[in-house]
Formats: sequence, C-alpha cells, structure tokens
Amino acid sequence: MQYFVNVTLTGLTEGMVYSAFALALVLIWRSTRIVNFAQGSMAAATTFIALALIQAGQSYWVALIVALLSGLLLGAIVERVVIRRVEGGPELNAVIVTLGLFVAIQAAIAIVFGSAFQSFPTPFGLEGFQVGDNRIALTPNSVWVIAAVLVTMALLVVLFRFTRIGLAMRASAFGQEVARLLGVRVGRMLTLGWALAAVVGSLAGLLIAGGEFVYPAYMDSLIVFGFVAAVLGGLDSPIGAIVGGLILGLALSYVSGYVERGSALVNVAALVILMVVLLVRPGGLFASSTARRA
Amino acid sequence: MTVIAAATAASTLAACGGSDDGGGDGGGGGGDASANEASDIGITEDSIKLGAHFPLTGVAAPGYSEIPTGAQAYFDCLNNEGGVNGRTIEYIYRDDAYNPTNTSQVVNQLVLEDEVFAIVGGLGTPTHSAVLDFLNSEGVPDLFVSSGSLLWGDDPETNPYTFGWQTDYESEGKIIGDYIAENFPDAQVGLFLQDDDFGEDGEAGIREYIDDQIVAAERYTPGNTNVGPQIAALQAAGADFVVGFNVPSYTALSQLTALQLGYDPQWFYSNVGSDPTLVGSLLNNFSQGQVSDASLLDGALTTDYLPTVDEPDNPWVQEFQRIWDECGGDGELTNYRIYGMSQAYTTVQALQAAGQNPTRDGLVEAIEIAGGDWEGPVLAPFRYSEDSHMGTSGMSISRVTGDTTEEVVPVQLTDIGDAEIEPFDGEMAEVPENGIPNEESVID
Repeated sequence: MQYFVNVTLTGLTEGMVYSAFALALVLIWRSTRIVNFAQGSMAAATTFIALALIQAGQSYWVALIVALLSGLLLGAIVERVVIRRVEGGPELNAVIVTLGLFVAIQAAIAIVFGSAFQSFPTPFGLEGFQVGDNRIALTPNSVWVIAAVLVTMALLVVLFRFTRIGLAMRASAFGQEVARLLGVRVGRMLTLGWALAAVVGSLAGLLIAGGEFVYPAYMDSLIVFGFVAAVLGGLDSPIGAIVGGLILGLALSYVSGYVERGSALVNVAALVILMVVLLVRPGGLFASSTARRA
Repeated sequence: MTVIAAATAASTLAACGGSDDGGGDGGGGGGDASANEASDIGITEDSIKLGAHFPLTGVAAPGYSEIPTGAQAYFDCLNNEGGVNGRTIEYIYRDDAYNPTNTSQVVNQLVLEDEVFAIVGGLGTPTHSAVLDFLNSEGVPDLFVSSGSLLWGDDPETNPYTFGWQTDYESEGKIIGDYIAENFPDAQVGLFLQDDDFGEDGEAGIREYIDDQIVAAERYTPGNTNVGPQIAALQAAGADFVVGFNVPSYTALSQLTALQLGYDPQWFYSNVGSDPTLVGSLLNNFSQGQVSDASLLDGALTTDYLPTVDEPDNPWVQEFQRIWDECGGDGELTNYRIYGMSQAYTTVQALQAAGQNPTRDGLVEAIEIAGGDWEGPVLAPFRYSEDSHMGTSGMSISRVTGDTTEEVVPVQLTDIGDAEIEPFDGEMAEVPENGIPNEESVID
C-alpha cells in the first residue's frame, strides 16, 4: 500500500512538471498558432541565468524574478527578430525555425555556462512529509511545484477568458486579417503572446530544475513529455494541459513502478498513450474546436 | 535531440624540443634513436598519435570528462622528459556525449582522418560496443577500454585487438557478494542496477554468492532521471542493504530519492558510481545547505582498484599530484584524473614493450607477452595473455567517511566464471623516476 502511495505521489509530482511545460506550449499555441520547439532551450537558458545568480549569492526568489523577466524579454526578442520573418508564410516554416532555434540556443547555453552537470537548489525541503510512521514521497518542494502550476493555470484561464487583451490575442492568432480589420494591433499581440509563453516556460524550467540536475540539454526529455501532455489535453486548453500532464505523469510512474524493467519502457509508454488518445479523441481530451490545423 | 557538440578537444602538441639523444632519456627499451622509423600508421620518427572517445558533454560527462585531462597531463609531462623512445605522444580525444552513434562517427574520424596508431581508453560499454567490430576489422589496437564489461577481454579470438583494463563488473560483483555473505549474512539485499551489461554483469557476479539474500533487483534506464518508483520498490521489498551498479549521477539521484522517502539502508556503490567528491559536488547545491555535501554518502561502502586522492601519503598519488601540478590544466587532481593517468601509464608500458619501432600487431603481441607482469598504480596485476585480454583482476573494499574513504578489506583477486576469491599477497609497486615506466622491449 505504501508503495502504491509513493509511486502515485511520484507520478503526481512528475505530472505537474509536465503540465507546467505543456501550459507554456498551450499558451503559445493559443496566441500564435505555432508549436514552439525552442521552448525547452529558452527555458533552459533562463534557468541557467537564475542558477548563475544563486551561485553569486542571490536568493532563490530574486533569481526566480530575474529569470521570469529575462524569459519575457527573450520571448519578445525571439518573436520580433526571428519569428516575425516567417510569420504569415506556410506554418511549417515557423515550426522548422523554432527547431533551429532549439539547437542554437542550447549550443549558446553550453558556450556561456558550460556543459557540466550542476544541481539546482530549491526554496523548500526535499524530505517527504511524515505520515504516521512512514515518510511519503510528497515533499515541501512538490507542494510548491503543484501550487505554482495551478496558480499559473488559473491566471491563464482568467487572461484568455475574461480580459480584452486575452480576446485580442486569441483573435490575432485565429485570423490575422479579420483581427486587423477590427482594430487589433496584431503584431503587438503576437509579440506579447511569445513573451508571456516564454515567462510560463521559464517558470516551468525553474520548477523542473529544482532539486534536480541541470545541464544545457536537461529539458530534452521534458520537451517530449510536455508535448505529449499538451496534445493529450487538446493543445488549446490550459486545464487540458494540466490534466494531460497528470495523466501522463501517473501512467508513466505506474509503468516504471509496476512493469518488469519498466524504467526502460517509459518512453514507449508515452507514445502508446498518445496514440490511444488520438485514436479515440483525435482533437485531444479537452479540444474546443474541431478545426485544429497544423 | 542532443546537440552534437562541436566540443572536439584535440590537442596538438608542438614538437617539443626533439630530444633525439639516444633513446635512454626516460624512454626505456634501449636502442638507438637514429633508428627510429615511421614503422606504422600514426608513428613517425618523432611522434606517436593516439586517439580516444569520451563523454565530454551530456549525462555521463560529470567525472568521466576529467579522465582524458588526466591522461593529457601525464603525456605532456612524459613528452617533456623525451617521450617514448624519443617519440612524443600526440593524444587526441573527442566528445561522443555517451551516444553510440556519435562514438562511431568520432572513432571513424580518429582512425581514417587523424590516422591514429591506436585507440586508448575509449569510454563506455554501449558506446565502445559500437566501434568494437570496426576497430578489430581495421586492425587498430583498441587498448584499455574504460569500462568493466566482459566484452573487451573474454574472447580474444573474436576481438584480437581489444584489451580491457579495469576490474570487470562480474569480478567486482563476486567480491562484493562474498563480502556481504561473510559480514552481513542476515542482510536483506536490494540491487539498484543500470539496465545494460554493466548492471547485468555485476548482478551475475553478486548472485554467485548471495542469491538467496537478494529480495529485489530494480533497474533504471540512463536518461530517465525519475528513479522514485525503483527506490520505493527497494524500500517496499524490505531491503536493508542496497548494492548499486550505477553511474555517479544516479548515485546522487538514488540518495536524493531515498532522502525523500526516509529510506536509510546500508549502501554499497560499485566503484563506478561512488566517487565521494563528485557525488558531493552534485548534491551540494540542493536545498541551500539542507543537504550538506557528501554527508549523505557517509558510511556507504565501495570498491577500489586504484589509489585515490584521499590517500595523500600514497607515493603514486604524490607523483600524480606532481604531474597534475606541473602539466595539468585547471581544477584539482581527482580520482578520475588519477584513472586517466594510470591508464596512460599502462599505455606507455605497452609502447615500450612493443620496441623501438612499434607496429600495430607488435603492440598487441607485446601486451599478450609482457602485460601480465607489469606493475604500476593499479592495485592488482593484469590478466593479459594470449587467452585473455581482461584487465586487472582485483579490488579492495572501503567505507566512505566524510570526504574520504578508509579501507575495510585489502585487495582480493578473482576472475570471471567460478574462479575463487583469494587475498592478494603482492606489494604495492614502487614509483619509477618521473613516474615513467621502464619496460624492456619484448618484440624483436
């Protein structure tokens, strides 16, 4: 029983991390209709900025704020300087450009910060809570991760559903021409979308890094799981991203914990889950529109 | 999608003041320098080109990326003393990021473009397996693979050019199993294994001695950093003694996960994953002091087949310290650098034994004839012969206390299969002048 609880809690925490990353993907998809492969290395870049600050003696929270702000800046710059050139062309072009960015940014991190493994501190403890005689696999740090992701999701829901700017962002993403005719400043909205997505991505990067090891490619496997989680949830819905992440995290943890040599099967299991969901519900679990493209 | 890091560390040594004053200058082997010839690919009158592949980036880079820097320092100091028979060593090592696809590529480059004489110390079981056939079919000596897999040495007929070097994982497993059977007969043993040859060989060895004591065997896949389910399973199975055949970053991960679960068994990490300094440096950032450096590993057991940096009185460590200070780069002398230097030492022994004008086949023959008698920093003798290309055969057992280790069981010898475990009755070898061996040529 205790084993089941621990495997479940491990899956829950991992799942929340996938959710955090999926949220960033959903955000950029909703505001620009582009799948951003560079998200992972952009988040890694800001995580390394935060780590440099912490190692220079700053507190975790200062580093967190600086990382989020540099994410904002990085997102805006990437959109203005790189993505703007290919926007409006075939959608595939933009996606391929983000793939190129992914590799380029990762290489830049290695050049600036080196490629060594480094541990990344957490603001909260890494020892599990005591329940009765047992310690369970839920740590103060996992609670912080879960809370941060849920708050971020709530903020995104509010932004898109209840604010004019959220509406304008969605309009710009769906139909640039129409939005422009209606007076929406589409260019600015796209920049804002990228900037915000990069902020959420930076947060995800920091949450993932806490209590783990970072190196320039540390986001690689999470990019895959984050994408799977986002697609599971429908790519369109912040709640879907959370649910997708949790389902994936739990399922992978059970595979790893209960299947013989499960650790090796985790990546395969992610693919199987993705295929099954897409066969049953091609739009993902929480898809709002049937006319998904790309 | 790993970035194929262009971090190719090639070191080109300017011909350093060619000392062709009659090969006696630390060169050993005797002979007349004027007789130096370009006797084979990668050999010129005044240089020998050696190649290697190491993970300088990626998941296996912590620790392992330091090995070639140790070897480089050793060769640099050797070159300052005149090299081997008046030839300087040109050592080229390239990054494969512990990815077999990259290994094939960089080894192709080393053999076909750089035209090295031999590959020395290529690291990793999955990585080096990818180039095993290539090197043997090309007839390139493949010396002293940095891995304890049985693949490199137990079948010299199939792989005549390949030699192991460190203690193989099966022998290590046997020595660990024997120790547990004698000292912890009531322990319920759990195994934490890397899911490849490394874990399998170790498990096979350990099961020869304590099969009935093992209550769980959990496997992790390198790259999947969530070991929560595996550690929780060991805890659930009631294991109070855990043996890990894992790489250093997974030592840190297993310790962190155990801390999270409040799981506190007696740990025994095999040599590969146990470096206290490295694991401590991996852990020390966490929780801003809540997890302090190596203290998590305190009391853990491990094995050794080389002297370590925490033995400042050991003459080999003192000599390696001198070499690192004089010829090394940034950073401290570490156990990984000692490993690289020791491997370089054995390499020089092989080159000396191969004579004034070595050939690739002659080098292999020299190791088979003389390698079993070589002494050096390695604690126990090598098993090299025509029938076996296995490396050293013995290990000591030690306990981590703080940042250092103390010996629990002195060196014991064994071999793969049903060979017995025996205490080693030899002495520690003396350090030769300048840390340069002086082997006679065994090739006419």
